[in-house]
Amino acid sequence: MDVEIQINNSPNANARFLIWSPTRCRIRITNPAGAQGQGQPPIRISARTTANSGSVVFRKGTTGAFAASLQLGVPVNGNWVEFFAAGQFGRPSVSLNDVQIQAKHGNGNQVIGSTPCTVRIRKNANNLTPAERDRFIAAFAQLNNQGLGRFADFRDMHTSVSSPQAHGAPGFLPWHRAYLLDLERELQAIDASVALPYWRFDQGSPNIFKRDYLGESDNLGTVFFSATNPLQFWKTDGVTGINRRPFFNTNNPTGVRTEAQTLALGTTYPNFRTMEGNPHGSAHTSFGGSISSIGTAARDPLFFLLHCNVDRLWAKWQRANNRFNPAVAASFDSGAWPIGHNLPDTMWPWNGITGPPRPPTAPGGTMAPSPIVTAPGLSPRVRDSLDFQGKISAPACMGFDYDDVPFS
Amino acid sequence: MTTKKRGTKKSKSAKKATAAAKKSPAKRSPRAAFAVATDEKKTTAERAKAFAEAPLATIASDKSLQESLNVLRDRSQPIKVRLAALQSLQAATFSVIEFEPYREDYLAALRELVDDPDAELRQRVLGILSREKDGYVQKRLLEGLQDTSKALVPPEKALQLLSYDVHAEAYPVAREILNAPPNPEAKREALRLLSADANSAPVFEKLMRDKDEDRDVRQISAAALQAVKPKRFQEQAREMLLDDKEYDDIQATALTALEQFGDEKAVAKDQKLMDRVDELGKGKSAKVKKSAKRFMSRYGGEK
Repeated sequence: MDVEIQINNSPNANARFLIWSPTRCRIRITNPAGAQGQGQPPIRISARTTANSGSVVFRKGTTGAFAASLQLGVPVNGNWVEFFAAGQFGRPSVSLNDVQIQAKHGNGNQVIGSTPCTVRIRKNANNLTPAERDRFIAAFAQLNNQGLGRFADFRDMHTSVSSPQAHGAPGFLPWHRAYLLDLERELQAIDASVALPYWRFDQGSPNIFKRDYLGESDNLGTVFFSATNPLQFWKTDGVTGINRRPFFNTNNPTGVRTEAQTLALGTTYPNFRTMEGNPHGSAHTSFGGSISSIGTAARDPLFFLLHCNVDRLWAKWQRANNRFNPAVAASFDSGAWPIGHNLPDTMWPWNGITGPPRPPTAPGGTMAPSPIVTAPGLSPRVRDSLDFQGKISAPACMGFDYDDVPFS
Repeated sequence: MTTKKRGTKKSKSAKKATAAAKKSPAKRSPRAAFAVATDEKKTTAERAKAFAEAPLATIASDKSLQESLNVLRDRSQPIKVRLAALQSLQAATFSVIEFEPYREDYLAALRELVDDPDAELRQRVLGILSREKDGYVQKRLLEGLQDTSKALVPPEKALQLLSYDVHAEAYPVAREILNAPPNPEAKREALRLLSADANSAPVFEKLMRDKDEDRDVRQISAAALQAVKPKRFQEQAREMLLDDKEYDDIQATALTALEQFGDEKAVAKDQKLMDRVDELGKGKSAKVKKSAKRFMSRYGGEK
């Protein structure tokens, strides 16, 4: 007997990615020869893993507990049977396709079908393996292509002129969530194994500020890279290199609110979003150089890791207080805010709207599409950024997760 | 038994974290923190910490902004407190909409500080204004490069700050410094500033190939040449890879550039280069081996 397994209900290899949130999968019998059972032979689905690989768990329907294996009755007529798979929390992948979802007939041990997949999760940048780090850096360098690549759009999205669309009001967190996702999807178009890592600005990060990674600063604030690091060719706004001078010990940061303090800011969004000042603004200005001014911050790749941590903190806060539902008042700060900061507003630049009160240009076009999810759409609204795991509505899932923010 | 013990431990830890968060200064209201930050009777450490704690408190009202700016401008205040005030105000600038009414006052105050006697404060202020593309500061930095008696910061810093908004008038000064650098850092920063200047390509090429040059200078020159004359860079990188007396790290840089940004067609049909990279991949240098492996992986020459 042979079976075919599809992840995200797609035969496309680009769709074989899982996160902690459940993903629709399906299985069908392609060759019934040797099938045992009345019309629907029992098939057991499980994950084949190694000690350091990602791992996957399963369940039959949209609710219920996940398990390491799942028994399904699959008809011999070739009809699909749906099931759900998710990354096993705490077991993200370290490389592309390092997990196999496999099917066995009944209690037998013979594999009758399998498909490789990746549990692609945003991780602490300080803890990436050297291979993960190198793939991330290479993808980022290629996206920038010495200032000539697609990254220039992301640079142009975050400027002094456009900043009111993204800062100083409730849309700060939703806008940056969309911005990071757009960038991450572009990185994944270059290397599908890459997930954007985050910089824990309240913890020592000895690995990040090294020549093999995001570079080592001298007293002047010039950042140096190793000869094998493609970021040595980084160029933005016509100038080669990165300026960044830490005002703190990168092994022991101080002066920025800790995660515990940030999560304790309050249980309603108006209280929580004061994190835009500290830790967010404080993390930016814990350096001299590009990253410490709003108009130049996106010149430095570190900016995206900093914001990934800001987004992770929001995700953690959302989970701790159940603030995923835009219909729940405490999940957002509703009021008469400038355009782009209210739940029903579309977000610039993905909406393509230019001219006052929006900025004069809209670089980059619509949101990059994903082969695994449809949310948040090509022109996301503020409200589309809240239910990022699809807890309230499964189709709202944005296709990313953090290594320390589970789904359940 | 074990499970129970673990559970107890976790619970204690969770309680400890909650208690820590409750006790932490973050629980002090932003207004209370700001009161400490501006209270001259408090210690320097207390005031600096309080400024860092609540950046948005500096722009809670026009009064609080003016108080913050007064601390920043007042040369009799401890420098640590002034620097903390600056860092806090700059953090508040990220809340653009809330900061907008105070922006002009803030920038005007910063312009008053470009001649401050404290070098660190001066440098930070110049950095912020340079990133704002402030014409006054650009003019002062250029003047300082042309006449050292007017210099606000060392030449290497001035060049770095001017690179935030490169204007053609900075190029002649940068070229002069490149020809007669006062120190290695100034040479490096002059190169960076010139990296968008296609007319400087011959200089980049010369420095990149010069084995007597500092490694960083050669690396920056390679990156600059690759950006303005990629074809020429590729030719030179090839020569450097074929040269068995070339330094490992420079060969690794050349390999990394070709692997990441090279002209795929030209590289892939260059059998002599392929054979050489294959050979380099079997050498002793870890850096070169790593770059060679990636190169061969991209160009399909793995053997």
